[in-house]
Amino acid sequence: MKTQPARENARILFGTLIFFAIWEFLGATTSWGIAMVPAPSRILMQAFADRELYWLHGTATIQTSAIGFAIGVTVAVVAALLFCLSPRLELAFRGINIALFATPAIVIGPLLVLFLKGDWPQTVLAALMVYFPAMSATLLGLRTVDPRIADLVAAYGGGEGKLMRYVRLRGALPDLFAGFRVAAPLAVLGAVLGEFGSGTRWGFGAFLLSALPQGNPARLWGIGLASSAIALAGYALFLLPARRLSASSTAVTLAAVQKAARPSGGWAWQRIALAGIAVALPFVIWWLAVTLTHVSPIIAPGPGRTVMFLIEGRQAAGARAALLTALGQTLPVALLGLLAGLAFAFALAALSLLAPAVARALLPIALVAQNMPLVAVVPFVVLIFGRDVTASVFMAMLVVFFPAYVLLHQGFTTVPRAASDLVSAYGGGRWKQLVHIAVPYSVGHLFAAAKLVAPQALLGVMVAEWLLSGVGLGNLLNVSRGGLDYDMIWAGALISILISVAAYEAVGFIERKVGR
Amino acid sequence: MNALPARESLTAPEGTEPTGPVDVIIDQAGKTFQTVRGPIRALDPISLKVPRGAFVALIGPSGCGKSTLLRMIAGLEQPDEGGAVLVRSKHPEQFRKEGELGIAFQDPALLPWRSVADNIAFPLQILGRPVKRHAATIQSLIDLVGLKGYEAALPGQLSGGMRQRVAIARSLVTDPSVLLLDEPFGALDQILRRAMNVELQRIWAARQTTTLLVTHGIDEAVFLADTVVVMHAQPGRIAEIVNVPFARPRLPSLFSSPDFHALCDRLTESLHGGDASP
Repeated sequence: MKTQPARENARILFGTLIFFAIWEFLGATTSWGIAMVPAPSRILMQAFADRELYWLHGTATIQTSAIGFAIGVTVAVVAALLFCLSPRLELAFRGINIALFATPAIVIGPLLVLFLKGDWPQTVLAALMVYFPAMSATLLGLRTVDPRIADLVAAYGGGEGKLMRYVRLRGALPDLFAGFRVAAPLAVLGAVLGEFGSGTRWGFGAFLLSALPQGNPARLWGIGLASSAIALAGYALFLLPARRLSASSTAVTLAAVQKAARPSGGWAWQRIALAGIAVALPFVIWWLAVTLTHVSPIIAPGPGRTVMFLIEGRQAAGARAALLTALGQTLPVALLGLLAGLAFAFALAALSLLAPAVARALLPIALVAQNMPLVAVVPFVVLIFGRDVTASVFMAMLVVFFPAYVLLHQGFTTVPRAASDLVSAYGGGRWKQLVHIAVPYSVGHLFAAAKLVAPQALLGVMVAEWLLSGVGLGNLLNVSRGGLDYDMIWAGALISILISVAAYEAVGFIERKVGR
Repeated sequence: MNALPARESLTAPEGTEPTGPVDVIIDQAGKTFQTVRGPIRALDPISLKVPRGAFVALIGPSGCGKSTLLRMIAGLEQPDEGGAVLVRSKHPEQFRKEGELGIAFQDPALLPWRSVADNIAFPLQILGRPVKRHAATIQSLIDLVGLKGYEAALPGQLSGGMRQRVAIARSLVTDPSVLLLDEPFGALDQILRRAMNVELQRIWAARQTTTLLVTHGIDEAVFLADTVVVMHAQPGRIAEIVNVPFARPRLPSLFSSPDFHALCDRLTESLHGGDASP
């Protein structure tokens, strides 16, 4: 039995070696291989030749991501503490939180440039990307208190302060680090996306932009692999402390009753008022930002002016037409990519139940790939699918597939053992288990996955449009940025954020309906 | 004897006239939970007095409100309008702030990141008492529950029975004057349970702490208690209060004596009586 992990490792090593050997062979000998999947040796040689560029671009991106990460998690932890102490505050900030989660980050970059100088636009974008996952994980950790231990604290006369000090803070640490782990690669993604829009000279975003038209596949692959390596290094950095902590923090017995996360009740008008604040707050902050920074209203219009830009005035009709055309190009692609990615993930997760070997092979890849910044797949996509709509669809699918697969696989594996045993006991095979047990059990996970990846699909499509296909909303933003059409940048950003939030809320709504 | 709503039969079960002070007074305290499908009556208004130094066991089927009763004494639940619970003439919330209350649940509810010694010290920290000054108390409690050598172990490294003993030690660390035990041995196997019963009697005898024990086990109740309160469900109410006459200290051999079994049978009958019996 002891040799099992060693043999497993040997098998993985062997498989990896074979993989690289085939890659090397195809990439060096076939004509499409040379054009699309250059051999590892060529990528390495190119990277060696570019080493000075890698150093300059790499240090810029790493520095931006690290500072952005530090700012983002600091704000996230403080916010989580405040939200934990006051659920009302969280309700009031719900609009901001969801907007930050659902916003396709690429639209924020061109806006930040208008307010901030130097490396700050991409740094702030990295921080914004980090905020939501870090905040929600920390908040979950702080909220999840074993109700029995809460009773114990109360029985000795301890209040919320003592509970926070002795139980919540320590109990949240594993979740905190799990959040950091997920957030670290996102900081890199935010930095790179910010570099696209900020026009900075150094950074992997700038490197990729300059390399795309050069037609040097080996360099493109090198950039993709290097930015993935940075992101995964950030992930790995928090892997160890998270493992360590969770080992000593998991409750040894299961709590019988799970307390509701949020105290229900309160006055109806109070809840309506809080919901109103939640919707209004993002616009208030927008208005405050443009007013207080004294940036010219031509460059940074407030919410009122942006809405007016689409309703009245000479260009309103033209602007609306441009936006509608762009939406008509972007949304179907995003939806197609989302559905295809989800369906593919669901099918493969189900298949891995029928054939566990598939899951063993795929899961490690998916776990790694879901943390790769999506810009890293741009070289891969452009070389294989070119620059047309197929590239956009595939980009959205790739972005959707890996996180959805990981989540759905979890869904399929959380099926209670007794339920599957019951099917086996009556002579049912794996197929029957799948149909009667596993699929119904994982429907909840399917919705969770859809909620998680729907904004990602839009982001994937917009990145592809910005960099590759030159159509749709992503392109509209890029062109407006170049043409200094500030009203259009703001309007485009507003519309994409609204669509993203609407998609998120729509999935949540369907989820609640089905869940009942 | 059917459910007795009247007060007078409950205050003084014959034989244990409360001559000394009374530690816990429950006066017409009921509990109704509001649910989506309307209110559910967990406990009819009931009254009970527990004299100082008494050991009272509450037995009854699931849903008879015995845990709710205990939680009301701990101040974790509030009785419905019109009812009151007083512990040493104080409201439970005030009483527990003074650190005079000890409590252990069916589940040990240990903090998984704290060692055995630190878990036992936890109530002291909540009460804001210096832990260092109580180091000797903590060590003596660890010895008392037979966990010597496990001071630095984490809950995850202990067996279920050992974890439960940590919870018992923790309930005693503040040297409470009133001890509430909610099925503390419910998850243990029969052999360990008996051993813990003997242990608990020894601890109680040494300190004469007023103790309320909620349990499913009739034999456990008879072995440990001076007074057994039998409860019925739907709605939760007190059916009968039975005195246990056996002399103390009670030895494990009591478990096999005919008198012991006769009393257990009588309580079983009382438990099953309620609506069905004449």
